[in-house]
Amino acid sequence: MVWTLLGIMVILLLMGFPMMIPLIAGPLIIILFYMDNLDPTIMVQQMVEGISSYVLIAVPLFIFAADIMTSGRTSRKLLDFVGSFVGHLRGGYAITTAAACTLFGSISGSTQATVVAIGKPMRERLLKVGYKDSSAIALIINSSDVALLIPPSIGMIIYALVSDASVGDLFIAGIGPGVLIFIFFASYAYIHAKVYDIPLAPKVPWKERGDIFLKALLPLGFPVIIIGGIYTGQFTPTEAAGISVLYAFVLEVLIFRSIKLKEIPNIALSSGIVTSAVFVLVAGGQAFSWVISFARIPQMLTDAVLGNDPSALYILFIVALFFFIGCMFVDPIVVILILTPIFAPVATMAGVDPIHLGVVIVFQAALGSATPPFGVDIFTASAVFNKSYLDVIRGTPPYIVMLLIVSVLVIVFEDISLFLLRLF
Amino acid sequence: MTIGNVLSRLITGTSWHFAAEISRLAVIVASFMGISYAARKGRHISMSALFDISPKPVKKVLSIINPFITALVLFTVGYFAVLYTYGIYETGRTTAALEFPFWLMVVAIPVGCFIGGIQFLRNMWTNIVHKEVYIAEEKIDYDEQ
Amino acid sequence: GNDETGDNENGNGEAEHNWRFTVEETQGQVQYVYAQEFAELVEEKSDGAINIDVFEFGALGSEVDQVEQLQQGIVEFAIISPGFTGTLVPEGNIFALQFLFDDDQELNQQVLNESEAINTHLAQKYEEQSIMPLAFWTEGAMQWTGSSAIQSPADFAGFQMRTQESPLILRSYEAYGANPTAMSWSELYTGLQQGAVDGQENPLFFIEDAGFHEVQDHLTISNHNMYVTMTTVNTDFYNDLDEETQSIIDEAIEEMRDRSFEIQEEQNGEALELIENATDTPTDVYELSEDEREEFRELASEARDYFRENGGDDAEMILDMLMEEIEEAQGN
Ligand code: NA
Ligand code: NA
Repeated sequence: MVWTLLGIMVILLLMGFPMMIPLIAGPLIIILFYMDNLDPTIMVQQMVEGISSYVLIAVPLFIFAADIMTSGRTSRKLLDFVGSFVGHLRGGYAITTAAACTLFGSISGSTQATVVAIGKPMRERLLKVGYKDSSAIALIINSSDVALLIPPSIGMIIYALVSDASVGDLFIAGIGPGVLIFIFFASYAYIHAKVYDIPLAPKVPWKERGDIFLKALLPLGFPVIIIGGIYTGQFTPTEAAGISVLYAFVLEVLIFRSIKLKEIPNIALSSGIVTSAVFVLVAGGQAFSWVISFARIPQMLTDAVLGNDPSALYILFIVALFFFIGCMFVDPIVVILILTPIFAPVATMAGVDPIHLGVVIVFQAALGSATPPFGVDIFTASAVFNKSYLDVIRGTPPYIVMLLIVSVLVIVFEDISLFLLRLF
Repeated sequence: MTIGNVLSRLITGTSWHFAAEISRLAVIVASFMGISYAARKGRHISMSALFDISPKPVKKVLSIINPFITALVLFTVGYFAVLYTYGIYETGRTTAALEFPFWLMVVAIPVGCFIGGIQFLRNMWTNIVHKEVYIAEEKIDYDEQ
Repeated sequence: GNDETGDNENGNGEAEHNWRFTVEETQGQVQYVYAQEFAELVEEKSDGAINIDVFEFGALGSEVDQVEQLQQGIVEFAIISPGFTGTLVPEGNIFALQFLFDDDQELNQQVLNESEAINTHLAQKYEEQSIMPLAFWTEGAMQWTGSSAIQSPADFAGFQMRTQESPLILRSYEAYGANPTAMSWSELYTGLQQGAVDGQENPLFFIEDAGFHEVQDHLTISNHNMYVTMTTVNTDFYNDLDEETQSIIDEAIEEMRDRSFEIQEEQNGEALELIENATDTPTDVYELSEDEREEFRELASEARDYFRENGGDDAEMILDMLMEEIEEAQGN
């Protein structure tokens, strides 16, 4: 049954079907032909469930806000400002992108929302400076995923609830690996810029920087309000998404007057299509994961794979593999919810630190989300940038190699995640 | 609605408990009603790598078979969605805060699936009638990009 | 999950019947432990003919999905909290009323076991929806945590209280003067940490598991309510079973009554100890006095009237009968 399911999905995928079809048809066929007496409407119930999470509402709102800002002047002024300070450095823009995605992603808690909100304006700027589109998109997708490791990470919160680990400890433990990845990405950005000889912009004199700063003052209020609002507790990440729409609207329509009111419905429609294309996949993914759980496939697999008395390191690698593969197909949050209870007891018994395990799991979940052939962030980027699937994944291999290296380091040296905890 | 929630919380210190429900409704309606529109505009996400490198006759065959099977899957899901929606209607389940019928929340799914299926059938028909490979209104063939 | 390997040794899944049991909590938490022990009892009593797989929260969808799956017979057994069926069986909202039960949890469990209002009249309402309650039981008393101390209704002035989305719970907190706010649990830890909400309510084991004490300075042992849940079976499925099989289930349910109380008592006790001993995230623990509870109880009566009028056809009858039963139990 497992092979039928995967076989159907891969064949449909390769035939170039819309991605929603393999995700929906796979579980549908299993329910209709392999499970006796099962009411097929369960399929629909789970599709509704998949898109019912309150956290997901942030995604279309950030898409809408980003669409407004990219149609208007906000993002241009913001990036003018950043560019005036780092544009003349090697890989400066790429490093800024990585930092901005990591920062924003940690706040929004959604890797997909980050791809949209930072990725969209930043990509245009990277292209203008001379980056190839494929490397720009790859940089954006992978930087956004690192966000899952930086507090306040929703992935960590869910792991903490499922396991017995402390949320606060997990937050601290995620910082080490997060910073390590950022260092890798920044070094790569520097080398990449040198090898491909990305032209350096001339250094901007301080007086001009001041002018650009003043012009960017209002747009700069955007991150200040969003970040400040969340950290001072004025609003949750989902509400911050709503505020960002309001801010973008006030700025572009009322203050800059760069967008006419009658253009807004068109922008909303475009945001709506992107939302629909992504959410239908999230819905199908939930139906798929329900069938997998109901058939007890994860339990069958762990019995077959783990065997008797495995070592801690072996378990960690197996866990990493399962989460990595799982998150290539399904939303990381769902994978964490389903797989953690299966692996955590075995791992803890073999002597794995539960905090360390959480970091490894969330790390792999983030990595899997950006790894072909599936990966929710790839779909999101494909929809948002209106690029074909192949264009989106073309530039990702170097990042996946870097992330794999870091994940081996994190698995083998538990101090990377635990050293900050030991300091306190 | 979420904006309103924050504003009202900041101003009056109370919050709209139904904000989440309205947002959820909007997400469900947008997701499923969007299937057809995204199909017409060619905005559904697909892994087109193999399709792109296929010879034209293969492409032509796929461009007829794919929308047909897609429509079939959507009609099947749509049929079960009708049963699901009717089941909900019969239990009289309501939403927690606004207490409006839950079936109104999910009725967009069968409707969206059927309209989406019809759009894919139209795409198939265009490929049967015309010679070139038609993907969607704004995408005749990926080669053109 | 370590007992799963034990199961494989004797019989290797050669059971005649494979049933499914969903719970609303994750491995190791009260409901999950209950379901596992229930499954073991049934397997034992049937000499291995009946195997029950327990599905932890999340495996088959949300709590509301699990209710629907029980109704459809996709799963045979489920632990369902009345809080998630409020729109289906409005009378079940009775358990959202605060300061209705006693603060002696053992006495409360005795009422839950024996009450005619609950086990006959309320159960009937569920059976009509294909949900047959086999036992009503408590997962422990609900307590408050806050960024500031909560000792009297005055402390709730301007206080952002996170609750579930139930009109009755919202009304109760409004009556105390708080601003109740609905928020998904996945956002709650961050919400408390960053101050988007000031406090929340849960049984101790859940507070400790989710780490809410790490980001809250005060814990009030308020016993303002208890978290009531039900062990349920699909009505048609149960009625179609032969008498022998039904009695296996009934016996296991009876044996689990005392066990469920022990499981929650043990977990909540351990949780309180862990919270008190977490010295790097200190939490001030305060227990309400009887006078302080009385202050809240008076304000809570408004929600009771609201329930009588809006809690469904038989709300008034069930509530009045239950209040009599509680008084009777207290009198003994
Ligand atoms: Na994924
Ligand atoms: Na504390």
